[in-house]
Amino acid sequence: MAETAWSTDTGEAVYRSRDPVRNLRLRVHLQRITSSNFLRYQPAAQPGKDLIDLATFRPHPTASGHRSEEEEEEEVVIGWQEKLFSQFEVDLYRNEAACQSPLDHQYRQEILKLEDSGGRKNRRIFTYTDSDRYTNVEEHCQKMTTAAREVPSFLVERMANVRRRRQDRRGMEGGILKSRIVTWEPSEEFVRNNHVINTPLQTMYIMADLGPYGKLGYKKYEHVLCTLKVDSNGVITVKPDFTGLKGPYRIETEGEKQELWKFTVDNASSLAQPEEEEREQRVFKDLYGRHKEYLSSLVGTDFEMTVPGALRLFVNGEVVSAQGYEYDNLYVHFFVELPTTNWSSPAFQQLSGITQTCATKSLGMDKVAYFSYPFTFEASFLHEDEAADALPEWPVLYCEVLSLDFWQRCRVEGYGAVVLPATPGPSWSQVSSGKRCGACWTVWKGSASRVPFTMCWVGFPPPRRRPPRISMSPAPPRTTAADHCVCSPLRGLPSRPAPHAGGPRKPSPGPGEPLGDHGFLAPSDPGPPCKRTRRMVLRLAPSCLFIFLPGDPAGLPRTGRAEKVPGRPLCLVFGTASPCRVAVTLETPRSPSAQLSYCKWLSRQGRLVGLARGGVTPPLVLSSAQPLFWPVALSREQRAAGASCFTAWLQREAQERKRRELGFLAREPQPPLSRVALSCRLGPVMFET
Amino acid sequence: MAEVHVIGQIMGATGFSESSLFCKWGVHTGAAWKLLSGVREGQTQVDTPQVGDMAYWSHPIDLHFATKGLQGWPRLHLQVWSQDSFGRCQLAGYGFCHVPSSPGTHQLDCPTWRPLGSWREQLARAFVGGGPQLLHGDAVYSGADRYRLHTAAGGTVHLELGLLLRHFDRYGVEC
Repeated sequence: MAETAWSTDTGEAVYRSRDPVRNLRLRVHLQRITSSNFLRYQPAAQPGKDLIDLATFRPHPTASGHRSEEEEEEEVVIGWQEKLFSQFEVDLYRNEAACQSPLDHQYRQEILKLEDSGGRKNRRIFTYTDSDRYTNVEEHCQKMTTAAREVPSFLVERMANVRRRRQDRRGMEGGILKSRIVTWEPSEEFVRNNHVINTPLQTMYIMADLGPYGKLGYKKYEHVLCTLKVDSNGVITVKPDFTGLKGPYRIETEGEKQELWKFTVDNASSLAQPEEEEREQRVFKDLYGRHKEYLSSLVGTDFEMTVPGALRLFVNGEVVSAQGYEYDNLYVHFFVELPTTNWSSPAFQQLSGITQTCATKSLGMDKVAYFSYPFTFEASFLHEDEAADALPEWPVLYCEVLSLDFWQRCRVEGYGAVVLPATPGPSWSQVSSGKRCGACWTVWKGSASRVPFTMCWVGFPPPRRRPPRISMSPAPPRTTAADHCVCSPLRGLPSRPAPHAGGPRKPSPGPGEPLGDHGFLAPSDPGPPCKRTRRMVLRLAPSCLFIFLPGDPAGLPRTGRAEKVPGRPLCLVFGTASPCRVAVTLETPRSPSAQLSYCKWLSRQGRLVGLARGGVTPPLVLSSAQPLFWPVALSREQRAAGASCFTAWLQREAQERKRRELGFLAREPQPPLSRVALSCRLGPVMFET
Repeated sequence: MAEVHVIGQIMGATGFSESSLFCKWGVHTGAAWKLLSGVREGQTQVDTPQVGDMAYWSHPIDLHFATKGLQGWPRLHLQVWSQDSFGRCQLAGYGFCHVPSSPGTHQLDCPTWRPLGSWREQLARAFVGGGPQLLHGDAVYSGADRYRLHTAAGGTVHLELGLLLRHFDRYGVEC
């Protein structure tokens, strides 16, 4: 008939409750263990004849000295912060001279009232509430070890101070002080309080006076039964935990008689009725539902819809900066060109803009001008004819960079164009425009080669210009498009780093395969060996750069900007005069076979001037997503002359082709050429969409 | 209706010649947009870079918009000012940036410019401080009258914005 095992686990337990803490009730049962009640007995259902009821052994209560059961067992239900007085306190506060603080006086009043109404209900069990002195002192002087003298450390001092200040801090949590954010001269106390983070707590101690019978009211017999801590977030910490099904806890008193007491602590709070709980939940649900309705009523349900079957394009962008131009006080004039077929835009929309004139500043080795000019553009595409072959043309943004100096001279620094991105998402476009070169703008569309995208033709520089020096070492390409091309991989374009991100690479050893002939270069002389070619480059100002892409149409994106007609190379025409270092940095997102294999650098007469291997090497990676245009500035006369030159070239090309009837890439042995290192030093105009 | 959450921070600024910088920022939207929660504009603290060039603000931006259409997509406009030891504030740059339209985190670098005066004013600015400012702040986020300005390039403001979109796919908008 052993007792249920003692519970030796006096660790604290943490509970959470959203209900107000004043509804908390605890039942504490305290009993001294004596030989008679140690053995639990159960009254026999039928007392046998032979068995003597154990109850007869219990000592009868007598008036003299024998301990009555009330002294040995006590049960109290305690509410939160309910003050139950101990004998010691009663004796103390009865004496008016001992009352110092208002709290003491209040206690005294209560004690007197209690005595008038018939004495207090509790004997041994009493409580210390949050406002008692004991609570603070206990925090400060609580001993953790059995050392003879445990000196509280600096941290303990600070924590004690914080505890005492908790009433002040309660007002400050959660709110932002609108004034006096900074305390310029903090006092020592302020520093102490604010360097330690503490959530304000309310504590309550349930104590027991375990003195011998008749000698209640001595401080040394006070023992802590249970500590309750509640913080403002509804976290209740009980140490030791509620007894529940575990056995009772026990206390062994020290002193001459080591007595054993056992006690249990139970949660006696009345639970909410199920109807009440349900009602509460319904109220909450209502509240949240109404808040949600309110929010969605603010949001609404209508949205501007497009005409079914139409594609509506919204472009929000900025003209960000211009970098690398020679002159100062730059401004950008740009306009958007919509393809005539199937595209429309709202009437009020402005499709062009001029930025402010910005004086440049140095950034690294370049000079940069910042515009941050916003533009928004909206267009609709209605596909009326269901021709499957026709790929939609995409609008193009043309820009012109001009400089305006002190004497009000205006000169064109360069031209550029970029096709608006076809996939949604952010994209940076770096538009290179020729630096101080002559060129002309010719929007040419749908000509003999049926390239259905607009491109700019580049003309020829004045022949008298002295060719600038070029160096043949593979210089690192600086701020070329691939470095900045961060198209987000939403649809189609895979994300991968630019091929020459990370610095210059070693040049590839040169075209391994023999380079082909392109039909229209009929008098093309494969060329002298490498060194002479380079010298040729030096002497002549190279003017036109043609890039040929032996790619397959499947590798091109669906935007249809560069449609490859079978049997014809995809030809992008560029030109530059000075500097002679030119690079084309384009990427093919789709198929590696669409990568550039080489490029030829031809002079005006069609003579081979230079060659370079592309694809793997850093500066030459061809992309059909965004062909770079290098229009260059020209005077009006040159412009007039240039246009005719270009069309003449086109006609010549067509004639050659007809004459030759050779396929593309007819191989011809070529001496291996060392790489002509090409790198870009053009002035890009950055767009961000 | 669709909803847009813009959650991010103005991290700081680099490239300015002045050192104690603060930034006044605002978000401007079209008429179809409604701000459900968050503050539409604000001002950061003044920061002096101790090490290096970047002045750090780490100023939070937390906005919740509801919209009926795509026009007037929110745009962020910034004014960077510097405060000297006498407490005077001097304009360091105006910047503009569209709030990105695709969901996810975006790192934005917004370059700034400031209006230039005559050479006399520029000289005065170098020695004494001051300088012209825009009369109407909306020139920063609308491009209509920009061509009248003569400006100089300022530094760059760095932002990190995260974007959450809701219900756009219901209306057939791909972002």
